[in-house]
Amino acid sequence: MPALTEIQFRFRNAVIDGDSGPVAPVLVGGRNPQKRLAIHRRNYETGLVDALLLKFPATRWLIGTPLVIEAARQFIRRHPPQAPCIAEYGAAFPDFLSKCAGAERLPYLRDFAELEWLVGQVAIAIDATPVDPEEFSKADPKTLPDVRLTLQNGLRYLNASWPVENLLKLYLAETVPDQLELVPASAWIEVRGARGEFQLNGLDVASFTFRKCVSEGCTLGEAAERALDADADFDPGQALAALIANRFVTAVRQTAEDKFHDRL
Amino acid sequence: MTPIPNTPGIGLRLAHLAEMVATCPRAGWLEIHPENFLANPHAAELLVELSANYPISVHTVGISVGSAGSIDRWHLKRIRGLADRIKPIFVSGHLAWSTYRNEYLNDLLPLPYTEETLRLVAAHIDEVQNTLGRPYLIENPASYVTFQFSTMNEADFLAEIVLRTGCQLLCDVSNVVVSAHNMGFDPHQYIDDFPSHAIAEMHLGGFTPEEDEATPGSEVWIDTHAAAIDRRSWDLYAYTLQRFGAKPTLIEWDNELPSLPALLREAAYAEEIARAIPMETGHASAH
Repeated sequence: MPALTEIQFRFRNAVIDGDSGPVAPVLVGGRNPQKRLAIHRRNYETGLVDALLLKFPATRWLIGTPLVIEAARQFIRRHPPQAPCIAEYGAAFPDFLSKCAGAERLPYLRDFAELEWLVGQVAIAIDATPVDPEEFSKADPKTLPDVRLTLQNGLRYLNASWPVENLLKLYLAETVPDQLELVPASAWIEVRGARGEFQLNGLDVASFTFRKCVSEGCTLGEAAERALDADADFDPGQALAALIANRFVTAVRQTAEDKFHDRL
Repeated sequence: MTPIPNTPGIGLRLAHLAEMVATCPRAGWLEIHPENFLANPHAAELLVELSANYPISVHTVGISVGSAGSIDRWHLKRIRGLADRIKPIFVSGHLAWSTYRNEYLNDLLPLPYTEETLRLVAAHIDEVQNTLGRPYLIENPASYVTFQFSTMNEADFLAEIVLRTGCQLLCDVSNVVVSAHNMGFDPHQYIDDFPSHAIAEMHLGGFTPEEDEATPGSEVWIDTHAAAIDRRSWDLYAYTLQRFGAKPTLIEWDNELPSLPALLREAAYAEEIARAIPMETGHASAH
């Protein structure tokens, strides 16, 4: 009698890799239990492929459902989910899809699918209560460079090599132009959303760099430095004021353990 | 604490969430898969709103008490967090496994019923109950294959799990119908043997017959939750009620979802059956 861990290893190989030979001899089920394993293999595949199709409707519109299905089938075999919340599964799919056979004719596919993934993420977010702007006005300017901000959950930043936000807007408007010439051009896109709504904001490179750095946990000083590297005319004060005015900031903390709020 | 409802409930899927919030139809209670809400803060927010109007039950699909490895403690803590927000009447899961190391296999996979499995499942249920701070309900599975070297039957295995852990049971009547057909046993005998004293909840769901490639010329029934409840499930449900008395009952429908009113009609039918049966809780009737 094989140990449970060995049985589950064989079962896993049957479900994900289709290698049902090693586990079949210990099973009961119909005249040929090995055939019944196809039910579990199909449950795995159907559930995950359907989940990916639901997350990438615009990508299906762009390249056709058959190509997405085929890529999804390969993806779930090579990248099984790492957690039971399937709604979180698929972040790596845009990159995988862009490397599949048939995708090479669309060099903007990765950016487009990535943008769609981010839209899906922000649309299910909820806004937290923003920090009161009045509190910022009382802050000591000397401490600001060391401050880190927490931004709303429904914010993502994508630096695309193609203007894919325009393509996504066409999909959303259910518009198919007679002819569309897409030329490579950097796009710095802010994806903002909450509670089922979203919008795509085109930013300049410096503002994008600043906001992305802040969202990733850099101090305001670090974020400003990188934005200034991108554009020497960048104004950090204005950029911070815009974040506050847009109600993007939900928490403020010092680099050290003490809370910025405590000093206000 | 929210009282356990007598009126049958329905499985709440994301597609019906907004309509439930907007219309608040009559329903005894709602059951959710927490995995659909943990990753969706907007849906979780609406669920918290609904929990003010309906008793909620949490039916996990990802805890995997049967995994040979350790259970996912991060996932378990997230479920605890959700439970703290919505104060569920039940938290339940399956006698199955679904994770291998760090891979989630997106299905409820079968277990051999042996002493080794008993020890493992009991330890994992202990951990779940300790983390959640409440009893966990274990559901009997729908089976397509079982293991030659199992040393006990499913009902005995469940009874022993209850004894070792103090957990409760979720008797999925439709799973009994499906497993009995697929594995060739008598569903009434299974119900007769079921450790009835531990049943806290019952499930009914639709299944889909298809050609059984393992036995050409016959059908295998798939627990799809993609169809109306079959007459044979309703019949076994009535039999189970006669045997064990009324239990909180839930209608599961996960795929090819009907309209919300159609789903609620299934729940109303379950209520009708329950009303028509003279209850003799705890007294066996002749089969």
